[in-house]
Amino acid sequence: MSLMEIQNLTYYYPDSPKPAMKNIDFTLDEGEFILVAGSSGSGKSSLARVLAGLIPDFYGGRLIGRVFFNGSELRDAERRLLCSSVGIVFQDPEKQLVMTSVEAEIAFGLENLGLPQDEMFRRISEVMSFLGLSPLQQEFTANLSGGQKQKVALAAVLAMQPRLLILDEPTSQLDPMAAEEFLNLVERLNKELGYTVLLIEQRLERCFHLADRLLVMERGEIVCDAPAAEAARWQVAHAHGFIPPVARLFALLDCGAIPLTVKDGRRELKRMLPASTYSAAQPAANKIPQRQAPREKLSQNPAVLEARDLWFTYPNGREALKGINCSIGRGDFAVILGENAAGKTTFLKQAAGLLKPGRGSVAVVGKDTRAASLPDLVRHIGYLSQNPNDYLFQDTVEEELRFTLDNLGIYDHGVIENVLTQLGLSAVRGVNPRDLSGGERQRVALASVLVANPELLLLDEPTRGIDYLLKAELGVLLQRLNRQGMTIVMVTHDVEFAAEYASRVILMFDGRIASDGTARQVLENSLFYSPQAARLFRGFADDVLTVRDGIEVVGKIIRTGGELVNASKPK
Amino acid sequence: MLETLCYEEKDALLQNSHPAAVMLFLAVLFFQALLFAHPLYLMGIFIIIILAVVVSGAYEKCEPYLAMSLWVAVLLVIVNTLFVHTGQTVIWRSPVLPVLGRLDISLEAICYGAVMGVRFLIVLLAFALYNAVVHPDKIMSVFSRFAFKSALVLSLSTRMLPAVARDLTNVMEVQQMRGVQFGTGNLRERLRKYSWLLEVILISSLEGSLQIAEAMQARAFGSGPRSRYQRFPVRPRDGIIGLASILSVTLAVYAKARGFADYVYYPQLGTLAGNFPALVWPGLIALALLPVVLMGWGWRHCLSWRSKI
Repeated sequence: MSLMEIQNLTYYYPDSPKPAMKNIDFTLDEGEFILVAGSSGSGKSSLARVLAGLIPDFYGGRLIGRVFFNGSELRDAERRLLCSSVGIVFQDPEKQLVMTSVEAEIAFGLENLGLPQDEMFRRISEVMSFLGLSPLQQEFTANLSGGQKQKVALAAVLAMQPRLLILDEPTSQLDPMAAEEFLNLVERLNKELGYTVLLIEQRLERCFHLADRLLVMERGEIVCDAPAAEAARWQVAHAHGFIPPVARLFALLDCGAIPLTVKDGRRELKRMLPASTYSAAQPAANKIPQRQAPREKLSQNPAVLEARDLWFTYPNGREALKGINCSIGRGDFAVILGENAAGKTTFLKQAAGLLKPGRGSVAVVGKDTRAASLPDLVRHIGYLSQNPNDYLFQDTVEEELRFTLDNLGIYDHGVIENVLTQLGLSAVRGVNPRDLSGGERQRVALASVLVANPELLLLDEPTRGIDYLLKAELGVLLQRLNRQGMTIVMVTHDVEFAAEYASRVILMFDGRIASDGTARQVLENSLFYSPQAARLFRGFADDVLTVRDGIEVVGKIIRTGGELVNASKPK
Repeated sequence: MLETLCYEEKDALLQNSHPAAVMLFLAVLFFQALLFAHPLYLMGIFIIIILAVVVSGAYEKCEPYLAMSLWVAVLLVIVNTLFVHTGQTVIWRSPVLPVLGRLDISLEAICYGAVMGVRFLIVLLAFALYNAVVHPDKIMSVFSRFAFKSALVLSLSTRMLPAVARDLTNVMEVQQMRGVQFGTGNLRERLRKYSWLLEVILISSLEGSLQIAEAMQARAFGSGPRSRYQRFPVRPRDGIIGLASILSVTLAVYAKARGFADYVYYPQLGTLAGNFPALVWPGLIALALLPVVLMGWGWRHCLSWRSKI
């Protein structure tokens, strides 16, 4: 008997004529690890809510079909029993913690179940030890980092000892390190403790290999339900993209077995390619540095953004920038990579004129930010912050764009029309932006910045928490704007995105620039900030950043019988 | 400034006791300060609270309050002198002043002002000590036993506050970058600009509240009768603090009811220690609270006590 079974389920949210899910048939066995992928609005979260009993209990709406838990129908299940059998962790760590201290937070669910004190104490202590939360026992939850908050949310659910653990994009708001740690915990829960896990996730490269099955959802339907390798092959055949680079490369090459990790991928490459193509895998970074100045290949255009010996310390005493020298030329598409608190966002705010240098100077379009007033600077700068919701408060999308124009005193010469068309928002121009999906909201926020036609566009982690399709759309859009002459500086954690779209990469560490050059120079030479494809081809070919590059190189090597070791891929 | 007034872990006895016991102790001090006007009684309580502040290592946090109430005491003396002319023991008589006329500065007015200053100081110190030794979260968890829903709302808002403050900064930056100039325009225009900020925050918070409600529902909130998780163990020290507080307040109420603690300032100062009980009661009331201070001292200086209490 399977743990969970859905039979022919169709569901409409209240007041919605379109079903959020239709004809879902799905079973989940005890101990399985299921990964769910799909673009936003494809019904992934709705599926999670059905399994957790939140649909229709919390959301209302119309549900057709049957859901069974452990053989009995869910609608008859007592809510208390269901809550203790199915646990769910949501996306935003801010929006699921209710209590002020870590211990009280974990106790909250247990109190709701009405458990006796001894039992609560035992469970809380066990779960805190397992997740390493004991040092934070009495900590004020608002003071925790995003990763810690999400861990507390997980602990709070685990303490209820669910049989099925549902995770709805739990790492979308976390930085890569915290996300990695969280997913490692999930792996342990599944492998060591035998938890049944249903994980909805966008960062597939970190969890693809863990899954027993991959579900791909599209427009409310499950279009693919197969083991990961098979699902990769199916998606390549059906032009879906929910595959991490390694699996995608081998699926595109149509290999017999599809490796899911870099390790397996390299083994497979060695098997496929003639031995002569492989030179003792010297990571590029270990080579004797070439004596060429990395700047040489960068564009020599006049600088739009120039920082000279820039130092900055926050009022609380944290020194965030330490002697930044950096010049971004007109037409550059620069990406700033680096761990948390490396000074990336601080640098971006310096560039926007929101913060003023402590020492040194920043000049934007030739204006020194210390001398120029902010209203004067904002005419040249577009700034997109991390959270698109910070932008949206007008009644319609169009008014949102007009708001920026009015503030800047720019007359609308059809620019609103133009931007709406460019960003594919014409159809929703009269809609309240808060009624749109996450991806659309981001586009509206971007549009409200772009109407002013800035020379310099600054973006703070725009790829955070969005799926690969939206990411690709954003990348293409930014590239188009860049070609039209807009200079772009973007802060991100997303190495794959940088590899795919950026022309220049700046690596920051501890308030300083650790590396600065063209995307290829920086990413090839980096050990850890390298895309999966580069890791895969290390020792085979140096010039690989994307899957496309990889396929070209493999084709070339096979055609020329292995003469291509470390030769550059023809551009 | 704000940081210096907030809770900080100092490893003091009162920080390591059950919050309910500590609250009771502080409430008793507060209540007695309001109950008594008699200088000797107030002095006894004042000594206890000063000692409690010192053994809790909270002197720095209370210092601003000390300075403040000193000024209040001075102010009370002045006001009393100016407006209450019923004191009979005139120390100094001023020459005729314009508007005010002749002022009589009486001993009664000075004494009354000074004692009220001390009274005010005790009340302030009780609050200062509360801030210094009781973690806000602990108190919430104590209150949740009585009024769970109100405590939950309070807890939710406490949690949200730092996030909202952060959002506010972000939204302000975003709007500045969209050309909003918060510093310009007349009052009405400025208010309008700030109302935009609030609008964004409000909409985002409303959206957030729905997500929180969903998360609570998923964690079985409202699925039936709840139980209460007891986070703080009860130790002998909590019993001692509680008993001492109850004993002290009982004595205080008794003394007040029997009229031992009555004292008149006007028209002439009463005698401080005319009859026998008037001398003994304030001592007893303060003495009852002394164990708390003693334990606080031992907590720091005789580490072996910790395992006993």
